Amino acid sequence: MTERASHPSIESLALHSAGDMPLIAGWRMRYHVAHCAECERQVLLFRSATAELKREASAETLSGFEAIADWASLEREMIGNIGVGVDAARCIEGVGSRRPLAVRFALIAALLLLFAAGWITHIPNEQTQHLIATLRSFTGFERPVPMGTVLRSTPEGIAVRTQGATLTILHPRSAVVSLSGSSAVAARYVDEDTGQVTIANVYGQ
Amino acid sequence: MSMGSSMWGRLLTCGRLSIGLLSFLSASGMDNGGQWLGVQFPADSPVLFVSFNMGPSTVRPRGVSMALDLHASLMLRNVGNKPISGLTLRVEAEDLKASGKGSVIMPSLNVQPGQVFPVRIDMELLRPFNVPKSDSALVQVSLDCALFADLSAYGPDKLHSRRALLVFELEAKRDRRYLTKLLDDDRLPELREELNFGLQDLNPQQLGLELLRAPSPDSRGEKPLSVSPVSFRSSPVQPLRGAAQVVGNEVRGPRVEVQNISRKAVRSIGMGWIVRDDRGREFVAGSSPSTLDLAPVATASMVELGTLRFSRPTGQPMMIGALMAFVNDVEFADGKLWIPSRSDIEEATSDPVLRRELASSPEQQRLTEIYRKKGMSGLSEELRRFASGSN
Repeated sequence: MTERASHPSIESLALHSAGDMPLIAGWRMRYHVAHCAECERQVLLFRSATAELKREASAETLSGFEAIADWASLEREMIGNIGVGVDAARCIEGVGSRRPLAVRFALIAALLLLFAAGWITHIPNEQTQHLIATLRSFTGFERPVPMGTVLRSTPEGIAVRTQGATLTILHPRSAVVSLSGSSAVAARYVDEDTGQVTIANVYGQ
Repeated sequence: MSMGSSMWGRLLTCGRLSIGLLSFLSASGMDNGGQWLGVQFPADSPVLFVSFNMGPSTVRPRGVSMALDLHASLMLRNVGNKPISGLTLRVEAEDLKASGKGSVIMPSLNVQPGQVFPVRIDMELLRPFNVPKSDSALVQVSLDCALFADLSAYGPDKLHSRRALLVFELEAKRDRRYLTKLLDDDRLPELREELNFGLQDLNPQQLGLELLRAPSPDSRGEKPLSVSPVSFRSSPVQPLRGAAQVVGNEVRGPRVEVQNISRKAVRSIGMGWIVRDDRGREFVAGSSPSTLDLAPVATASMVELGTLRFSRPTGQPMMIGALMAFVNDVEFADGKLWIPSRSDIEEATSDPVLRRELASSPEQQRLTEIYRKKGMSGLSEELRRFASGSN
């Protein structure tokens, strides 16, 4: 404690005015104030100032309370605000978790597209058909067809396929394809270079 | 993550190795063209090959198979003393030898002794990589039958091509005679109509075919369809009635009952088939020769096993609306052949499109092409060339 020329300090007098001094220091302060008019006056000033502050403070609290007197309305507003906040939080959570999922789907779709494009451009149609037939047969959608020789015409040629190998005799697109036996297919055309009519045949046994 | 990258690494390595192996196989194949195509003719053959040019032939991987593109041009010489009227070359792939083969037929030839003539063979062989390859060539070309102008023949005839060449030659003679007659009688409008007015669009109608040798195990959806007979007046064998099972664009097991109305025994019959699609258009689907011992007045049933699937040239299935059958040719027991005359064809149907289809022989197609390119003078010259050759 710092004291002015045998008088207690202003801070000690302020504490004493509010009764906040420790017990022994409070006794000594009470004794001094009772015998010192100047310090007594100072303590009274502190007490009146404190009383004024308390009065003003209570007046302000009352005016604020009056402002929130419609509690039910405030409650609805608060609950509404809380609801908006919760929803906003949910939205933020959703954005954070969905974006990687969409990216994952896009990546898978791109890979599937790449695979499909590669398959279409690199795998012959007959092998695709064979694979589809095998899958259909495996899953029971189609009864297994006994393996045999297949004769087939395409715009480019006539083919005999058996045991995984295929022989195609190529012909111009103008060729006329016909049956030439119970196990033969023919393609007839006129050779543009020689002018000679040519009949290509494929046979299956 | 490390497992993923090591797997990718392995896959990439496998891919690189496969590409390297394929490149090596392709390169070795290119250096050894003789291993792709072998040409064999018997020493006493009336036809010998002079040379062959492989042209732009390539080999490349396709999926799990090797695709061999062969474009061979053979130069053959008639080393016999008789003109050659037709020729069949057998094309056999080592991988399909047991159950599939091909042939190239050259009908309507007029190759004089000593003359050299070209034969083109364009083909593609697709063989799986895992099939072991022997030392012989992947594709063998050999002579199956040569037909001479006097209708005698030479060759092993493993594909029964002598009969086919004979039918083509008889049809060629019939059509040349008919067109020569029109020309001589100055019936040019009829002649032009016969030759499609020189228009390419009026060539025979095209269709797509698929022939499955094994009978279909699934009979669901099959509908019975009667086969209507188309008769030629002078035919020694007449179709009586027939039936087939039809599912969409498939015809299964068609059968026709025929009767021999001649006094001669019949050895084989070429049964022709006409298909009418759901739009009412008719196509001659071809003819199928069958060996059939048929005594005079006797009847018999001709049955085609397997399934025939029709499609349009674009690949769309062609729904079957009706099925007709006609006797295209008859081989008697004495070896002689009957084919319908032009008047038989004229009388058989009132439909001009079907009549045109029935009359469309390989020779008619060749002469039509000559008329389209060289006009009436070119056609006249060609008909004279054959007439002088036959004299």
